[in-house]
Amino acid sequence: MAFLGQEEQLREFQDRFKFLYAALFIGLGILLVRLVDLQVLRGDRMRQFSEENRIKRVKIASPRGMIFDRNRKLLIDNHPAFDLEVIPQYLRESKRTDSVIRMISELLKMPESDLRRTLEKARGQPSFIPVKVKTDLTRDEVAVIESWKIAMPGVQIAEEIKRTNIYGDIGAHLLGYIGEVNSVELPLLNKTGQNQYKLGDSVGKFGLEQRMENTLRGADGEKLVEVDALGRTKLDKRAGRMLDGLPEKTPVPGKNIVLSIDQDLQQAAVEAFGEKVGSLVAIDPRNGEILAMVSRPSFDPTAFSRGIPAELWGKLLSNESKPLGDKTIQDHYPPGSTFKVVTAIAGLEEGVIDENTRVHCSGKIAMGNRSYHCHNKKGHGDVNVVSALTQSCDIFFYRVAQRLKSVNDIAKWATHMGLGRRTGVNLAREVPGLIPTEEWKLKRFKQPWNAGETLSVAIGQSYVLVTALQLANLYASIGNGGTLYQPHMLRSIESTDGQVEQEISGEVADRADLSPKTRDLIMQGLWGVVNAPGGTAASQRLPGMDFVGKTGTVQVIRIAEDKIYQKCDGMKFRDRHHGVFAGFAPAKNPVIAIAVIAEHACSGSRGAAPIARAVVKKYLEKYFPDIYGEKAIAARLKAQNGAPTSLAESPEEINLDTYGDELPVVGPAEVTDGTAPPKNSNEPADTRKQEDH
Amino acid sequence: MHSSMESQTPLFESNSRVGMYEEELKRFNWTLIILELMIFGVGIWNLHSATTVDDKSLGLYRSQIIWFTIGLSITALSLLLHYSILSRVAYFVYFANILLLVAVLVLGKSSLGARRWIGFGGFRIQPSEFMKISMVICLAKYFETDRTVGGYGLKDLILPSMLVAVPALLIMMQPDLGTAMIILLTYGSMMMFIKIRPQTLLILGLIAATAMPIMYKYGLKPYQRQRIVSFIDPLSDPKGSGYNSIQSMIAVGSGQIVGKGYKQGTQSQLNFLPEHHTDFIFSVFSEEHGFVGCVILLILYLVFLSNALSISYQSNDKFGLLLSLGITTIFFWHVFVNMGMVMGLLPIVGVPLPFMSYGGSALITATAGVAILTNIANKKFMF
Repeated sequence: MAFLGQEEQLREFQDRFKFLYAALFIGLGILLVRLVDLQVLRGDRMRQFSEENRIKRVKIASPRGMIFDRNRKLLIDNHPAFDLEVIPQYLRESKRTDSVIRMISELLKMPESDLRRTLEKARGQPSFIPVKVKTDLTRDEVAVIESWKIAMPGVQIAEEIKRTNIYGDIGAHLLGYIGEVNSVELPLLNKTGQNQYKLGDSVGKFGLEQRMENTLRGADGEKLVEVDALGRTKLDKRAGRMLDGLPEKTPVPGKNIVLSIDQDLQQAAVEAFGEKVGSLVAIDPRNGEILAMVSRPSFDPTAFSRGIPAELWGKLLSNESKPLGDKTIQDHYPPGSTFKVVTAIAGLEEGVIDENTRVHCSGKIAMGNRSYHCHNKKGHGDVNVVSALTQSCDIFFYRVAQRLKSVNDIAKWATHMGLGRRTGVNLAREVPGLIPTEEWKLKRFKQPWNAGETLSVAIGQSYVLVTALQLANLYASIGNGGTLYQPHMLRSIESTDGQVEQEISGEVADRADLSPKTRDLIMQGLWGVVNAPGGTAASQRLPGMDFVGKTGTVQVIRIAEDKIYQKCDGMKFRDRHHGVFAGFAPAKNPVIAIAVIAEHACSGSRGAAPIARAVVKKYLEKYFPDIYGEKAIAARLKAQNGAPTSLAESPEEINLDTYGDELPVVGPAEVTDGTAPPKNSNEPADTRKQEDH
Repeated sequence: MHSSMESQTPLFESNSRVGMYEEELKRFNWTLIILELMIFGVGIWNLHSATTVDDKSLGLYRSQIIWFTIGLSITALSLLLHYSILSRVAYFVYFANILLLVAVLVLGKSSLGARRWIGFGGFRIQPSEFMKISMVICLAKYFETDRTVGGYGLKDLILPSMLVAVPALLIMMQPDLGTAMIILLTYGSMMMFIKIRPQTLLILGLIAATAMPIMYKYGLKPYQRQRIVSFIDPLSDPKGSGYNSIQSMIAVGSGQIVGKGYKQGTQSQLNFLPEHHTDFIFSVFSEEHGFVGCVILLILYLVFLSNALSISYQSNDKFGLLLSLGITTIFFWHVFVNMGMVMGLLPIVGVPLPFMSYGGSALITATAGVAILTNIANKKFMF
């Protein structure tokens, strides 16, 4: 190995510098080429990317329309709600995740593990997107968070509009709730709806919120804002200038809806129901407007409007009484004795019975090799159509059934009066109920109709099924003389500033032309049920108000013959009879028709009628104080010398004389002490204790 | 220190040579310092824009000016000395710097998950920055006395490689992949320059090829591996580790021909760019000044680097040549790696752009580099 002097070595080194210059030019040349590539060749695209980065389209939510009751009482409103949000990126950058979480947990009294779980779940999304860790902060919680905010980087409070059902669970099924559009609904909504939706938008999911979606929902506006990498909006003037000329969209607010529902009645109904399970529908027989519609038990839709808490959802789903279902239209029941009016109408109108037809009730009749029982073991003795309705004598209606050509005669009148078909009310998932015909049975079971079944149908059992809404509408149409309205609950649609844009009036769906005589007889029977001492709901009389109707008690399970007369109260709750009541008031020119189904309440008179009574009383007192106010009634009763009935006041409308002597007009004293029993001597003295059918 | 050395070599100009001072000032090579001032001027102007963003970087350009002033003062003082003093203190400087690196690992301040700084009174320094120059001085000193001809073999490389491996490992442990990479690149470049035997080169290449996957698997932290993955496929995780690379490329590209205008860069002003005042300063510049601005900056760096190369070329001792060459190489790799990273050509490693990126230690190191180069340019005839 030779050793070179410095001079030689330097010279050798200097020779190599040409490579260094070359390397320098090549290196910087590569950079130059990349610059050309990015800035010149792909500059346009990159510029576009940077614009997309900085400009965010921010939705300006359009306020959803409000819902009012018939007296403009606000039922559904939009309230501001406060949520606690955490921006994970800030939290991480501040390196104080633990202390911040501990702090939130202490301030809001919520477990740290919940917070961590929520944040953990949000890991998949970009860390600059805020994560909701608690919704619906109270004012106090907002205040406490705001005052400690400085010590909690990445923690913020977001304000959102929350749909609020002001009366909580009252009318929940009717009003419904909204929820976020999910990925399953999205394509369907955008195909059928007139509005365009995005994931996360609110959409009506149940009740009127769902049915009136297109009316209630306005169109969201859009605003362009310049944001930084953390999504924070820049508010300085420069940002405004940079966005000049970019399009914006102003939001169009949704329309308000005024319902025919009366919130006071709703409230009265809910109070009358108490812990009972079931449903109530009240209709104005003059136009088909629904005045009250409740299903119990219920739920509070407000809790649903911003995501349903899983725990609450689970509880509602597992509740045996099914609070989520609307029992007024989504469930149907055998109407029991409330159906007897239809049998009576069929019998009278088809000419197989008249006011003079008398039937002897000994407690049971035989047909084929079966015996058919009356609910009254001892029998009712001689009954006509009026007393049969009043006392709910089953035997009379069995006889009517036997005299009719076929079950189709009953079905014809039932259908005319709105049973067995959807009413077309503006709510989803209405069931049609069922009115059996011979053809139906053949088609359904491939079996011919059995004459004995007509007997069951005649007393509202067998295959007959009705909804509470149908039942109320049936009695409304009986009350108004045979006009069947399509029940509806919308009165008007208004703009946000209160301009009426559309008024909705009742539509006639069908007409059952009842002869005046038939109407009178039915009316007498229904009057007796509530107002005569032998009536099955005599205890529910409303003095001076002419409240009439029919009770029904429906067996839930098949009961062995020897146990038919067993006390209902002794049975398991789920096995107890349903109580049904349907009626209207006043008897002459009724202004309210009502139906109540009280599940497992054992009897119509004690389980359902009191609820109907409370609502009818409330309605008449509220809307007709001059006639039905306490003072007016007291004055009228005094003038009538203690006579309890307004039927006496209007002899030109309903002539009591034509009712026959089976239905004497009795004073209150006679009702209470039972000293004036009806002529049918085998009637028990205290009819109120009797199970009605 | 000065007095003891004065007797041996004219490290310190004596009063008798005042006349020569004027002469010397006339033909003093200011070129590199002028280029340094020009690039720094562009840098501080750009940094002013980058640090108007309302975040932790707000107003940091002021500190940058202070650091630069300190750097210039050191430059001025150093011109009174002769660079060959560095040959004498080379090993001392080297070991002192190694000690500082150890100190960083033991009591360093951590930021963004790495320990790179140690506090010194009110401010903090980053010894890994100084290590680049310390290592170059040390290598120049080592090879100054070495007389190997016909290229270096594997055995000849063991000692100098050790000299580089120790600081490189210490820096990687911080971890500061970028600086370690610059040190290795500079060492590699210098070794190529002083010539390695072809067969040795082949063996080294094979060793590197086998070592790389092992290093990748065991030597790198997960986030560093992620950076490499996202460099190869930035869209694999656009919101995560690929985010920086994508946003930076968008910033550069969106500048187009003339740029968005001073302080109008939306990518940087709105914080889409990470570390926009330090490692990603070039994307701020290219977004706001476009292709035209970038070409001007590239030309400035080209003139600066070629000038530095010619200083090396013209130096008339081996130490000076290797020292200036090493320093020039450091500058080159900084420019190349930084810009390459910003433009998505290289994985993201923390390497500052000389005179442009914010950072005291890096700036002091860069001014020191220019000071040494200028010293070599002007003291070559003086012994």
